[in-house]
Amino acid sequence: MRRDEFIRLTAGMAVAAPLLHACSEKRNGSTVIPGEIVGASAAAGHLLRDHSFNPPAEYETREVVIIGAGVSGLSAARYLSQQGIKDLIVLDLEQQPGGNAASGRNAFSRYPWGAHYVPVPNNNLTEYLSFLEEAKVITGYDQAGLPVYDEFYLCHDPEERLYINGHWQEGLIPNFGLNAAELAEFKKFFSLIDHFKKLKGSDGLDAFSIPVDTSSRDESLRALDRVTMKAWLDSQHLTSEYIRWYIDYCTRDDFGTPYDVVSAWAGIHYFASRKGKAANAAYNDVLTWEQGNGFLIEALRQNLDGKIATGALATSVNATADGVKVSYLDVASRQLRGLKARHCILAVPQFVAARLLGDTERGKAVTDHFRYVPWMVANLTVGDLHERGGQPASWDNVIYGSASLGYVDATHQQVQQRKERRNLTYYLPLTHTSPEVARREAFRAGHAFWAEKVLADLQRVHPDIRERTERIDIMLWGHAMVQPRPGMVTGEVRKALSKSVGAAIHFAHTDLAGVSIFEEGFYQGIKAARKLLEQT
Amino acid sequence: MKNTAGRNSAQWVLLVAVFIIATCGLIYELVAGTLASYLLGDSVTQFSIIIGVYLFSMGIGSYLSRFFNDDLLEWFIRIELLVGLVGGFSAILLFLVFPLAFSFQPVLYALVGVTGILVGIEIPLLLRILKDKVEFAELVSRVFTYDYIGALLASLIFPLIFVPYLGLIRTSLFFGLLNVGVGLYLCRYFAGEVRSVTAIRFSGILILIAEVAAFIFSEQIMSFSETLAYNDHVVYSTSTPYQRIVITKNKHDLRLYLNNNLQFSSADEYRYHEALVHPAMTAAAGPRNVLILGGGDGLAAREILKYPSVQKVQLVDLDPVMTKLFTTQDILAEINRHSLKDPRVTVTNADAFIWLKENKKQFDCVIIDFPDPSGFSVGKLYTTAFYRLLKTAMTPQAVAVVQSTSPYVAPKSFWCVNETLKASGFQTIPYHNYVPSFGEWGYVMARQSGGYQLPDTFAIEKKYISQAVMEQMLQFPADMLAHEPLEVNKLNNQALVNYFEKEWGKYLDQ
Repeated sequence: MRRDEFIRLTAGMAVAAPLLHACSEKRNGSTVIPGEIVGASAAAGHLLRDHSFNPPAEYETREVVIIGAGVSGLSAARYLSQQGIKDLIVLDLEQQPGGNAASGRNAFSRYPWGAHYVPVPNNNLTEYLSFLEEAKVITGYDQAGLPVYDEFYLCHDPEERLYINGHWQEGLIPNFGLNAAELAEFKKFFSLIDHFKKLKGSDGLDAFSIPVDTSSRDESLRALDRVTMKAWLDSQHLTSEYIRWYIDYCTRDDFGTPYDVVSAWAGIHYFASRKGKAANAAYNDVLTWEQGNGFLIEALRQNLDGKIATGALATSVNATADGVKVSYLDVASRQLRGLKARHCILAVPQFVAARLLGDTERGKAVTDHFRYVPWMVANLTVGDLHERGGQPASWDNVIYGSASLGYVDATHQQVQQRKERRNLTYYLPLTHTSPEVARREAFRAGHAFWAEKVLADLQRVHPDIRERTERIDIMLWGHAMVQPRPGMVTGEVRKALSKSVGAAIHFAHTDLAGVSIFEEGFYQGIKAARKLLEQT
Repeated sequence: MKNTAGRNSAQWVLLVAVFIIATCGLIYELVAGTLASYLLGDSVTQFSIIIGVYLFSMGIGSYLSRFFNDDLLEWFIRIELLVGLVGGFSAILLFLVFPLAFSFQPVLYALVGVTGILVGIEIPLLLRILKDKVEFAELVSRVFTYDYIGALLASLIFPLIFVPYLGLIRTSLFFGLLNVGVGLYLCRYFAGEVRSVTAIRFSGILILIAEVAAFIFSEQIMSFSETLAYNDHVVYSTSTPYQRIVITKNKHDLRLYLNNNLQFSSADEYRYHEALVHPAMTAAAGPRNVLILGGGDGLAAREILKYPSVQKVQLVDLDPVMTKLFTTQDILAEINRHSLKDPRVTVTNADAFIWLKENKKQFDCVIIDFPDPSGFSVGKLYTTAFYRLLKTAMTPQAVAVVQSTSPYVAPKSFWCVNETLKASGFQTIPYHNYVPSFGEWGYVMARQSGGYQLPDTFAIEKKYISQAVMEQMLQFPADMLAHEPLEVNKLNNQALVNYFEKEWGKYLDQ
């Protein structure tokens, strides 16, 4: 530091310190930060459970009805539309399509409410790559045939940091303050992963592949789906606190499932199935947008104008002689409406599908085998935050040892020099207790409870977070995603539930894949659409 | 002598005085140590020398105390006031002296020495004042107990309370006030035993007023010391949402600093701006529409307006304060020859990246004069993403030029800019020149096709550039080359910021 810089700095500190303190004392504890719990549709969903409505007086006719405008439903609609089926409608309960990839917006940026990035895609996913071309995420291919990604959409540097041992380190794999033995465990773990990445099963298929159903069926690999990730780590003598935290962080991040609950097969799949190559990115790079995967939702629906009905809560789906009859509640008018269609795709979680079909046996299979984890997501609008030492503010900011997954900065992908405010999206999978209990607790707690939980966590890394936060909105996802517990992926239940009902009713949802990732939803939609087309 | 009770309370008053003196003395020592380690670095050395000098000076003080024979109480009070004066103003004095590099250490040690001597005199004086009033063993025990408790208190409250809440200047003034206050109190308490009460009281009150005033105006004093740090007179300084702008002037030149980085010196800026502007303008052959990104000082615009072919100049600078200053302040507008008021020039205050994204126009020549890539934000303005966008704002024959930091100090950074432009689909022409106030400086010209021919002439009014000079500027000696393959700077790697930090960091550490 030069002398003149120093003088200014110390002068600044001397003058500012008492003022800042005075300011913080005034606000600390006494000020309530404005905000609300958004996504009131859970209440609308309960209408379905708690009320009965007069059956619809008349039925409109469509060739195809798709229920659910998340990734699976929109992917199915896009595919069908491209195959020439134009007479289709997608119903969704929410006011905005997107499912887990929902997003919001304020004066400073758009921001995600759920899924917020996709890894660089595997190169064998032809349909997915061509969708990304359509979305102008892929701008071309280099001489080696590798996709060139739009630089604006690749996550900008600095990408990730971890607050560990009192310091922000670069990257999320713990290394700051670890001893040689602890570091060696990470080396061993990643060399095991590297082995799994290249491994092929006895059937010649990749051991771990995306979608999960394209992975090898080799029995020795499927055996990994009978144990938890923790048991597998034990068997590999990977026991340090650090590696366990890291694996647990990863499985909670992708699956909302702690490492001692998640299947080892799913846990390894998270690491070993990503093999994407790109002209201008590495396999561990990610694509992200201000609004998170909301960007991809917009791309999926770009040719579906007028074909998506929002605020439309499906209440029943019944097979008829020549197709299906669907009734739905138009939430705005509180009127039950009817649709007749030749085909229907249920792009909703299976507990909803069972209810719509009025199929109690199906319902029981779901309750017995599927566990859906609730999540809390908060969006904070903040001014300049005090930073602890180390790596500067990054896109993904994780706190070692926290129950949360940290926060991502929605404004990170903005290119302007000065950002008046930043929107931080904070993620907390509610895995501290059983999903049922966590869900009940989550909806019972109010805004103040959740806001305090977020602030108390972030205060460790940004001591002035309470003074600098202007707004906190909270989203509660009651059934955010299915948990890939042992037996889920290789078990028979998801296969049985994936089978079409008759010729007219098909299913598409990531819970049928067992892991909730964008690619699975995308291919679930295409698979269901193809089954449907076979019937025409 | 008064009654026993009176004698007792006098004794306690003096002991409390010892306590405060010990606290204040140590605080001054800590202020000096902290300031020295802040300003000079190497806190171990600074603190140990200062502690040594302080203790040794106390020894000198103790020795000197033998020469005080009469009016001990009066001397005690006088010295108390003196400690308050010297100690109270010590931090201010050091801050003010610091910019005058050679005199800082002598002043620092002199201050520590004087404070040490004065405190050193006081304890023996006090012992002697009280020696007839208290039994000797008791006296020594009490005086030193208070002395050491004061020292403990000082060493705890200094780092925990005073530095964080008051800062160094106000801490030293606060304790100065305390010293003076004690002096004045003693003066009043022992009014009967002191002869020149009025004189002492008068000087005490004077010091008190001066220190209160300094306490209130500590901020202004700080900014005055800032002006000294620039070696020049600060004629203007302001903080905008984007940067800190400081303009200094002395009899030789006027200088602009943005966030403490020198942007130009009026004495030699023509070397920088002629080298930045004319090669590209000449290569662009009769450019009509010119774009300047950055360059809110209007100096690049001044050079551009020398070309009769120029019809329109679009200047995009982030900071409205900056362009307003260089439009409306005569002293500044004279340097850019009122270029920003020229009817051909349009000034837009916008973020260059966002502006470029929305821009639909094409330009024949683009001058890019951004701050150096010293952080992730500004680093984005040097990426392939930015340069590809830049291409959309250029006619097929257009030439752009990018100020690209020093190829001597930061060769990897310089050549990284060159590689990044190449990777973005440009042919590049890197060159450099010497600007005395900057050192060796680099630029990269970029165009989509057509290569580069040395022009026969630079047909404008100029002080520096010529064909022969240009020919030289294109030559890079080995110590300005990167000597290794370099990464291309992209939004998703920010390679340039990393090179820049390392190279300039190393340079400034020397």
